Order: sequence, then structure tokens, then C-alpha cells
Amino acid sequence: MTLQQTAPPAVLARPVSRRDKGRLFQEIGMLAPAVILLTIFLVVPFLLSFWTAMTNQPLVPRPTPIRFVGFNNFLRIFRDELFWTSLWNVSRFTFWILPVQCGLAFATALLLHQKLPFRNLFRGLFFLPAITSMVVVCVIWGTLFQYPTGPFNQVIGFLSGGRIQPIDWLGDPNWAMFSIVLLSAWQAYGFQMIVYLAGLQGIPDELYDAARIDGANAFQRFWHVTMPGLRPTHVFVLVITTIQAFKLYTQVAILTQGGPKSSTETVVHYMVRSGFEEQKLGYASAVSVILFLIVLVIALLQRQLLRRFDV
Amino acid sequence: MGKRLLSILMASAALGGVAEAKTVIHVMHQGDPGWVATYGEIAKRFEAANPDVDVELIYAPHDAYNEKFSAAVMSKQLPDVMELDAPFLANYVWSGYLQPIRPLVDKDVIGDMTESNIAQGTYPIDKDLYAVGLTDSSVVLYGNKKYLEAIGARIPKSVDDAWTREEFEGYLEKLSKLDGVKWPIDTFRGYGIKTEWITYAYGPILQSAGCDLIDRKTWKSVGTLDSDPCVEALTMMQKWVTNRWVVPQSSGTNQFFAEGHPAALALGGHWFYAEAAASMKDDIVVMPLPKFGPRGASPNGTWIWGITTASEHPDIAGKFVSFMLKDKLYRDYAREDSGYPGLKSFAADSPLYAAGGPMAVAFEQASKTAIARPPHPAYPAITSAFMGAVDEIFNGGDAKAALSKAAEKIDEDIEENDGYPPFDEQQ
Repeated sequence: MTLQQTAPPAVLARPVSRRDKGRLFQEIGMLAPAVILLTIFLVVPFLLSFWTAMTNQPLVPRPTPIRFVGFNNFLRIFRDELFWTSLWNVSRFTFWILPVQCGLAFATALLLHQKLPFRNLFRGLFFLPAITSMVVVCVIWGTLFQYPTGPFNQVIGFLSGGRIQPIDWLGDPNWAMFSIVLLSAWQAYGFQMIVYLAGLQGIPDELYDAARIDGANAFQRFWHVTMPGLRPTHVFVLVITTIQAFKLYTQVAILTQGGPKSSTETVVHYMVRSGFEEQKLGYASAVSVILFLIVLVIALLQRQLLRRFDV
Repeated sequence: MGKRLLSILMASAALGGVAEAKTVIHVMHQGDPGWVATYGEIAKRFEAANPDVDVELIYAPHDAYNEKFSAAVMSKQLPDVMELDAPFLANYVWSGYLQPIRPLVDKDVIGDMTESNIAQGTYPIDKDLYAVGLTDSSVVLYGNKKYLEAIGARIPKSVDDAWTREEFEGYLEKLSKLDGVKWPIDTFRGYGIKTEWITYAYGPILQSAGCDLIDRKTWKSVGTLDSDPCVEALTMMQKWVTNRWVVPQSSGTNQFFAEGHPAALALGGHWFYAEAAASMKDDIVVMPLPKFGPRGASPNGTWIWGITTASEHPDIAGKFVSFMLKDKLYRDYAREDSGYPGLKSFAADSPLYAAGGPMAVAFEQASKTAIARPPHPAYPAITSAFMGAVDEIFNGGDAKAALSKAAEKIDEDIEENDGYPPFDEQQ
């Protein structure tokens, strides 16, 4: 992209002058570090994992030979019920976390964009969970979720006057994923909130002034100025949140280990399990390739979809 | 810290040819904070007795130990001495990570080992010894005396008069209706669903019922793990869970002696005794595991010490293992932790497990009903598949379907590794 901006085709068509050549070298030189690092740490590992996915490579060296197995790993994954369960689970997770987390982030961002006293203090406080380690959050919430006498159940029991039975948040297959959603949204919404705040600050005040002069009320200003102004922000937040949701792992690994009854098994957890616990690196690589393709397709679809809305 | 700095200084001095460098041995271990502190102390004492050796301890958490070990293998940073969970020994030896330990540790240590301890450290192919432990383990049935007397339960005195399945389930039912009992039994689901505890503690229930995780002659799981006795045994356990007789997974692991003593029985490891007895005082009774079918069965095996093939100083590594197993501090701490004797001299030193002692029944199980977990290199796959099946069944899944799936997974792993030669010829 940068190449085109500074050296449009018309310039290249001319005999290349020494100055242009110098500039080209300079640009290549400046691109080089990024390109080299991306190649070493992203492109090569990806190609390697694709290659590993075609073999029966174990995690640690074994006395039996490593063989090329073609697409066997992929076929085996598609035949494994647990893989489909884990895919279904991350889809459920994504479906719930998008409105909960992004909604929470958007609402707090709107609130903190107002001219409140101690605004910066509140911004810091609301951002705190996001900089707390997920592991720590999980341990704390694990205690909050305790059944039957944990704090959440105590509060629910108190508010309902004992009419609502305690909920086995993490131990009931019907509740476990929802509990993970609550905790994840609370931990991570701060990041989206910051992005929304930045987006809100990017909307010029003149637009609001103009709207006010035209007689727009608060809701109309929100709907016709704020929302269109935030369109690129919405796209970004949606894509980022979806991709992160598909990589759900830490919470599950710490709190439920994929249970109960595989109701919180996720694709990444399934991959780590087959790679480390069952020591099948080739198989786990195949899972990672599939996950990559899924995320890629979703990201492209979302872009297309949102671009259509833009017109 | 100061010591480390000193050893760096010494090492750099050695490069200059002034002093001789120290030999460093790496020791990988797991354990709770108390054990970690104890190992640190032992390492210091060993260094004091052997001024030319530096012991570097590498801690890896219990639940991720195998992952951490694999990472060490991948990065070619194997320790000299490693603590390992006995059922994984066959996998480690088959993969070539451990060396025979008999020539490396003191003869009197080897001669001191109990039958069960030798069994847990032996590789079935060459029948050689690859690891030694001070301790062994077992699971017993703890009971709250008050509740048991209230329902008029018979309290078995020895392994031979263990409860039958009918008695056991009858008592569970009665206990569930008794005032003050919230749950008739704690089977420590709180340890999680991905923990060796599942295979270790529930495996013997299958064996007692007349089946196993895998056929130990043909090394095939289909036809064994999904056989009728196994399906029947796990359906029985599923019933305990759906009847709300078992402490749920999310309620923690001390419901037996927690405030108000909400759980009446506990199917718990020997290590649970110290804590439970301290809290329950005279209310605790220790009973053998019930007989669920034709024979009694109990688990054994624990974390033991091996020396890796990567060690450049196997003799010093062996010296460290011998030193540790004889060390008074190690034994004192193990005893305090109600450590289950794996060495005869330690047994003689443990009134807890001696005849007439409160845990005598647990020690009696070792010689009468203990069955080791399958000594096969596919063990990681076996235990992982079984854990998955138990989670599914406890949460309402069909026992037959879940066990068939697990059995197929195990056989698939063995097939993928060409039968783990020479285990495929071992029939």
C-alpha cells in the first residue's frame, strides 16, 4: 500500500531514476523487519503446522516411526463427535458474548463519555478487570460461583426469599457455558469500552451542534449522529470480539476443563487436549488449521456483511 | 539467592582455572507448598553433605505435570532426577526417558521396598526396576461414626468383612434420609474432571465389579471397558449422583469434615486422613473399600522417583535419591502428611498404619486387594478416555455409549502407535 502511494504506476513506467531507486531501496529496507518477523513467526509456523497436520507426529519423540498420513487426521476430526460439540459450544459462546460484552462496553463507554465528575477515575476503574489476569479472575469467580453456598447463590437466595433454588453454575451442563459467558464478558469488556470511547471522541462536536440547531432531541442525536459515526468502530469491535470468542480457552481450562458433559469443551481446549494430554501433535495441528480456516471465513463474511450495510 | 550468586561466581572462577566447578543436578517434582518447602530443605542438606554438588529444583504443578514434562523433553531440558506418577512409568520407559535405577541407588534402599512399591516401579517388559518411592498409596472409605451409629450400620474391622454392594447402597439410602446429612458420600468430584483421581479411585470399582479399563493380556479395551459389568458399575455410580447422594463437583473437597459435617462418608485417599482426623477427632472411622462384585479391589501407586537417561551424572542423581529416601526430614514430613509406607523401615516407623493403628485397614488392602493401574505405554490415552466417559456418565449420559466411545479411543491410540512394540507381542 505504501509502495503505491509514493510510487504510482505512472512513475514506475518511466525509466527509473537513481533517486527513485534509492527511495525504493529505502522502502524495502523499512518494510524488511516487519516482513521478516511476520514470515518467521507467522507464515512459517502456519505452513509447518499444515505439514504436521498431515503426519502422525507425536508430541515427544517415540520409538515408533513418524508417517505421512495425508488427510487422515482431518477425516478423523470430522468423525469425532466431540469436535462438533466443541464447535457448537464456541458458536453458542460467541452468540451470547457478542451482545453481552459489546453491549456492556458500549453502554459504559457512552456513560463515561459524558462530562461526569471524576470521569478519568471511573474510566480507570471500569478498565481494571481488563488488565487483571484472566487466571486470577477465574479463581475469584470460581469462589463466587460455588454451589450451593457461594456468594452468588446467597444473593439470589436472599433476593428471592429462598424461592429460587441454588444454581450449580459451573457443575450443571445447562448453566456452565452461560456462567463462563458472564465471567468472560466482565473480564474483557474494558478493552471494547476503550475502543468505543476512542470512537466517540472521534465524532466531531460540530455534528452535534448542527443537529441541535436542527432541533434534534437526545435520542435523535444518538441515532443519527453517534451511531453512523461509530460504524467503523462497530465493525472493528465485532470482528475482534468474534475472533477472540472463537479462541476461548483459559476460562474453560481453569474452571471446567471442558465439562460437565462436554458442555464447555471448546475448539482450542480440544486442540490442547489432543496435543498435550493425548500427545498427538499431528492431530492437534490439523485442529489448528481447521480453526484458522473457520476464523478466516467468519472474518471475511463479517466484513462483507457490514460493508453491505454501509452503502 | 545469595547461594546462586555464589555458585555463578564459583563457576566463573572455574573458567579462569582457579577453582573446580560444581556438578549441578536438576530435580523435577510436584507437590503442595508444604512438600515444595520440604524438598528445598532436603536439597540444602544434600548440598551441605556434598559440597561439590548443586541441586536445582524444578517445580511443576501436579495437574499439568505431564505437559510440563513433555515440554522439557521437547526443549531437551530433561532433569536428572524426576518425580513421576507410577501409572505413567511404562510410557516413560517405553519412550526411553528412564534408566534402570537398581545400580544407582543404595542396596539397602532397594531391599527395604515393599512388594507393592517394587510393583509400581517395575517395567513389565524387562521386569527391571526404574523408580523408587518412600511412599505408596491407597483409598479407603471414611465414615462419620455418629451418622453410622444412627442408622445402625455394621462397621467392618478388616478387609475381609468389607461392605457388600447391597449393604453399601442400603446405607447410602438410609443416610440420605438422616437429619444433618446433606450428602451421604463425598467421592471427591471436587478434584475436577481431568484428574488422575478419577481413574485411580473409580478404576477399582470396575475391577471389583469384575471388569477393567483394558484387557491386560491382549491390550484391547473394546470388549472390556464396555463390557456389561463395567456398564453396570458406572450405571450404579450414575444412580448415586442422580439420587443426589454424592457431593457435587462444585462444592469443594472437604464436605466430610466441613462445618456441620454435611457428608457422612468419604471415598478418599490415605492422604485425606491427617486433615480429616484433626478436625473430626473421635468421630472418624476408617473402613475398607466395599466389594461391588466377585472380588475386593483397591488402588495403589503414587509419585515416585526415577533417574532419566539424559542425566550426565546418574551416580550423583542416584546418591541424591538414596539420601532423600533416608532423610529424617523427608520421613517426618511424609508421616505428618499421613504418608502411606512404601519402604518397610518407614512402615515400622508409622504407627498410623501398624496393626491396630487407625489406618491399619488401608495398609491391609495393599497386600489383599491392591491392583495397579494398567502398566502400558498407552496409559495417558487410557486415563484420558476414561475421565471423559466418567464426566459424561455422571452428568446423565448413557453409560454403554460413553464407555464404548472411550474403549474405541483407547484402541485407536494403540493402533496408531503400531501396538506400542514390544507390547503387541506380549500376549
